[in-house]
Parts: sequence; structure tokens; C-alpha cells
Amino acid sequence: MASEVNTDFLQNKKLDSIAADILKPVGITQGFIVWMGFLGIGLLACIYAYYIQFDNGLIVTGLRDYISWGMYIANFVFFVATSLVGMLISSVLGLIGFKWVKPIARIAEIIAVAFAAIAGLVIVSDMGRPERLPYVIMYGRIQSPIIWDVTVVTTYLVLSTLLYFLPLIPDLAISKGRIDHAPKLLQQTYEVLSVKWSHTSQQYKILLKAVRILLILIIPTAFAIHTVTSWLFAVTLRPGWDSSIFGPYFLTGAFVAGSAAVVILMYIIRVNYKLDKYLTSYHFDMMGKLLVLVSIVYLYFNINEYLVPGFKMKTAEAIHLKDLFVGEYAFMFWCVQLMGLVIPIILMLFKFFRKPLSLFVISIVVLVAAWFKRFIIVVPTQDHPFLPIQHVPKAWTLYQPTLVESAITLGTILLAVIIITVLVKFFPVIPIWEIAEEQNEADHKINE
Amino acid sequence: MIKRYFSLLLIVLISLRVSAQVWVVPAENEAKKSPFAFDDQSRKAGGDIYMTSCKSCHGEPGKNNSLPLVPPPPDMASAKMQGNSDGALQFKITTGRGPMPSFKNTISGTDVWKVISFVRSFNDKYVQEVATNAGPGAAVQNVKISITWLKEQSQVQATLTAPSKDKVIMPVAGAEVKLFAKRYFGNLLIDEPRNTDASGKAIFNFPKDLPGDSTGLVQLVVVPSSEAYGETKADTTLAAGVPTYLPPLNEKRAMWNVVQKAPIWLLLSYTLAVLGAWGFIIYVMLQIRAIYKAGSRKEND
Repeated sequence: MASEVNTDFLQNKKLDSIAADILKPVGITQGFIVWMGFLGIGLLACIYAYYIQFDNGLIVTGLRDYISWGMYIANFVFFVATSLVGMLISSVLGLIGFKWVKPIARIAEIIAVAFAAIAGLVIVSDMGRPERLPYVIMYGRIQSPIIWDVTVVTTYLVLSTLLYFLPLIPDLAISKGRIDHAPKLLQQTYEVLSVKWSHTSQQYKILLKAVRILLILIIPTAFAIHTVTSWLFAVTLRPGWDSSIFGPYFLTGAFVAGSAAVVILMYIIRVNYKLDKYLTSYHFDMMGKLLVLVSIVYLYFNINEYLVPGFKMKTAEAIHLKDLFVGEYAFMFWCVQLMGLVIPIILMLFKFFRKPLSLFVISIVVLVAAWFKRFIIVVPTQDHPFLPIQHVPKAWTLYQPTLVESAITLGTILLAVIIITVLVKFFPVIPIWEIAEEQNEADHKINE
Repeated sequence: MIKRYFSLLLIVLISLRVSAQVWVVPAENEAKKSPFAFDDQSRKAGGDIYMTSCKSCHGEPGKNNSLPLVPPPPDMASAKMQGNSDGALQFKITTGRGPMPSFKNTISGTDVWKVISFVRSFNDKYVQEVATNAGPGAAVQNVKISITWLKEQSQVQATLTAPSKDKVIMPVAGAEVKLFAKRYFGNLLIDEPRNTDASGKAIFNFPKDLPGDSTGLVQLVVVPSSEAYGETKADTTLAAGVPTYLPPLNEKRAMWNVVQKAPIWLLLSYTLAVLGAWGFIIYVMLQIRAIYKAGSRKEND
């Protein structure tokens, strides 16, 4: 983002065509109603599942004495992980000065907002007595990583929302006269949210400064949010969690999941909104390269995380690792490592697999594998407690997620998709003013 | 050929392992028998001792729920356990081996037999043989032991007395006695076993640095070495130790303490990080207001 904005682009005719392209899908369409209806009905069923859990307690889940962190906590880690991509794309790549992230930055921010917002809710789904949620604030101990986690997740959500909203303000001002086809309420919302934006150079100056602060501040916050999430595990002595590289291991894994999520959303937007002019093959190619890079880094951390303890095979660690390599979890473990990392890395090294459709398909596999990867990290460790619990029924030592539990987990994913749908459908998904400004600059260069 | 070699090696290793596990009991101990007949009272008393001192590792008899240690602590009802003679059990309990601690100083000689009495109640086929010869003594009965703390000399004096045939209290001379200080697990032998002199007194040198409780109190036990003096023992608490104050773990600021006693460095880093981040967030929110104000001004122009 430049430090000065030349507002000449407002007079450029290209702004009209860009705004027209990007604003065309805004508003309520038949496809939107069908899609939201589908999501809404699905969500209702999941809310009913949550009602069952609320009424009966966690006994309706597969969680018992041995494995008390199951699908819910794995899902939580997945949500936090995916939301980190907002920081990677807008801040890290944006601050370095990569121009190609401009049309993608807002998509990444939408994912960040949606996933960070639901992450907190996912934690509530794991609570047997959710009405005691205020106790976290009332009786929380500052020494507990859980309090740190609550703090950073909240901070990250606010930062991501601001980072989504601030660059949107000029677009709302540009758009408010151009969405006559949209419902009246939406037009009024644009009016309010554009906070009397009138493209003065003073306003741009304030905006750019505020955005810059956010871009810098969100980097340590994003690092903190996922490092603290990893500490929830790593501060224990349990095999599989007792690792000094858990922070960076989680972070790099987060970039894989998040980049895959961005590619998926990019592709859906490109196809549905016919925005191939803005989300070009070049953008997919670059995202493919980014995904390869972060995947290789994550693979490197995986090798460290499993090879080093695997070489030593300390008694307790060995039981855990054998479960993963050749035991009960071997199928899931190797599927996740191969389908979620090794094969995608090899494929995406070739240009063909970085084309939009193939990258979209690869990203779906990577994202699904990323979810199961969290399951592999969270669940198997708890199979083998250090202190044997005596006289427990055999059934308590086995973890089998129930239908209710799966439905609630699905519900959180649906909620995130609903947030994404609403943001994507009612607001410009590509920063109009930034693209127009860039075009204007390019035109000037040609004229000179 | 190699296969055969390895299977041979395996057999050798297994047999070595098995032989390493055999717990050799000296013949004289093997043949030892309880000085009294086991009855309901001894089984009950033995059961109480078992529950406090043995169950945590060996589990409840007959339920096979001992701790998963290597080698596994056998269940009391198991054939392996019941295959021991009474004397072998007595030897193993008092000597200990590997993870099995010695209870020599923790459970008295008679109490060990009571535990064995309890263990045998899980064996229907068990028929007890009582020792026919309970030793040379039992001649001296109703021995009384008194303990005195000689502060100046840093010595403990034990005095043994017993009524004579005509009920006159007489000193017990020439009896070997031991002095113990009670610790968390078992009893700590103090000085060496000493013999009483003609006046029935035995003097023990007491260390000057033995930790006592917060006021320096130490529980002392004096026991005759020989069973000939019956079940007598003295148990007194004296201010013979160094006062030791162990602060409770929640006294100082610590990670495990309540939030009011959180470590300062943690309070500082957390507060500074939160204030720093939220300070900027509030600043950015104020900038939105500034944008709004700038817009309003332009409208009014």
C-alpha cells in the first residue's frame, strides 16, 4: 500500500467499468436464496444437535475420562489455524510490496474474520456447562494459557475485522451510488458504514496510516494466537505434545490450511461472479507457489516433529508414535501426510497444477487433510495417560465421535460459510479503489 | 543356520531373564514360622496395614489390579504369591528388592506376621504351622521403656524396666535396643544398637542436625532387637530436632498459585501486551471517527 494516494483515478473512466464488474453480483439473487436456504436448514439441524448436548451435557458426545479433548478441540485448532492466512497475505506479503496480493487481500481477510469469529464459539461447544462461560473472566488465572488464548483470539478477531473494514470504506463510498439493483437496506448500510467518506486526501492519509498500524500489529498478534494455541498442548509433558517446536509447527501448518482456504474461496468467487479479469490465472499461479512454499516449510517441521522423537523412541513416546506410524491411527496419519502435504507439494511444483481448477481441487484435499491433521495432533496423545486410571470401563478408553458431536462440528463450519457468504455477497470482494488506482498508475506510465 | 542361532540366543536370554527374576530366600528364613496362630483379629489388623502400606502397588487381593510396573507386583491371591512359605514372605517384606521397598523399619516384626496372616486369608488350602519354639526369651515380660532427652550431651537415654517374679520393678540389663526417628516413609535408625547397662539404661548419641517439625519436635521409637522381650516398644515425641519451617507451596508468587499471587513478570508481560495491542486498536477506532469528521467538514463547506 502506497503512502500517498493519487485520487486522479476517481476521474478515470476505468473506475466505472471496474466498479460495475465487481458490484454486479452484490445484492440478493435467486442463487443466493437457494444457497442460504440450504445452509440455513443444515444449520437448524445442527442447532438441534446442540440443543440435545445443552440439555444432556457432554455425555452425548464420545468424550470420556481418557479422551476429553476430541473433535471439538481439533476443530478449534483448525479454525484458529485457517484464520491466520489474513495476516500472511495482507500483512506479510502486502508489506513486502507484492502487488499481486491486492485483489486477494480482502478474500483472505474475509476468511480470517469468519474463522476467528467462529473459533470462540467452537470452544463453547466443548463446554459441558456453557452458562459458566463468564467464569473465564471472573475466575480466570492469568497463569493459564487458556486465558492467554481467550485474550489473543479476541484481539485477533477485532484486528481482522478492522483490517477488513478500513480498506472497505472508500469502496463503500464508491459503491453507494452504483448499487441501485440492491435492496434499500443494503444501500442504507453502505451509507452508514462509509462514514462520510469523500475521497479527500486527508481522509486517505488517515486511512493509510490506520491500515499500516493494523498491518504491523496483526503480525505479532497472529503469531501469538496460534503459538498460544499450541502451548495449550505443549506446556504439558504428554508424548506427542511435549515438544519445543510446537509453536512454529502450528504456525506453518496454519499457513497451509489458510492458503488452501483462500484458493478455494478465490475460485468460487471467480467462477460465480465471473471475475476472471481480476482473479487471473496469474493470481492462482502465485497462490500455488505460496502454497508450495508454506507446505514445504510445514513438511520440514513435520519431519522434525516425528523423526527426532522417532529416532530416540523414549518409552512413552514410542507407544504414541507406533500408534501413529503402524497402529490404530496409521491410516489417518499417512493419508494426512501424503494427501495433505507430500503429493500436493510434488504436484504443485508443475505449472499445470497451479492452474485455477487444478489448484482448486488440490486445495480442497489439502484443507480436508488439514482438519484431520488437527485430529491427529489432539486425540491420539490422550490414549496413553502417564498415570494409569484404574477401574475404568473399557468403553471409556476408546474415542468414537458421536453423531451429535459431528453435527455440532459441522454446524460451526456451516456458520463460518454463512458469514463468508454474507460478506462476499453483500460487499465488494475485490478492493475497487486499489485496483482502479493501480490501473490509473499503469495508464500514466504508458502515457509518459 | 542363522535362524537357529537366533532362536538359541533367544532361549538363553529368556532363561537368563527368568533366573534373574528368582528371589533367593536363605534356607533359615524360608523355614521361619509365625510365633502366633493366625486368627480373625490378626487378619483384621494385617488387612489394615496392607491397605495403607501395600495396596498402592499390589492392588486389592484377587482383583489383579496392581500397578503396571516391571516386574509386575503380584496379586496376593495369585499362585505365585501363595507359593511362598510364610518365612519367605516375611523375608521378602522385611528385605525388599528393586521397586519393592524394605519394610524392616516401617512395619514391626509382629505386624509383618499379621500382614502375612491377612495374605493367607486369600488361600483356602493354607494350613498354618506355628513356631514351636518362640525363642529363648519370653522370659522377660511386661518390659517398660522410657525415653529421656539429655539436651546438654545431645544424647537420648532409654531405660528398660520389668517387674520381677515378686512384682518388684527391676532394670533390664544386657538387652540390645535400637533407636529410630520417625520419617515420612519408615523409621530412620539413629546411632547404633546399644546394650542396656546394669541400671537398664542405654545411651544413644543423637545428631545435632536432624530436621524436626516447625518447633523441632521429633517422634522417637525405641525397640528391643530381640523378640524375647515381647511386643514392647516406646514411642515419644521430643524436641530433639532442628526446627524446620517448610513454607506451603502456595505461599509465594508462582505459576500454580491463585491469580492474586501470579508471578510479577507474567503480570507485567500480559498487561503490557494487552494494553499495547488494545491501545493501538482504540487509536485506529478513533481514526475512523477522524475520517467521519473530515467528511462532515467537507459536506458543510
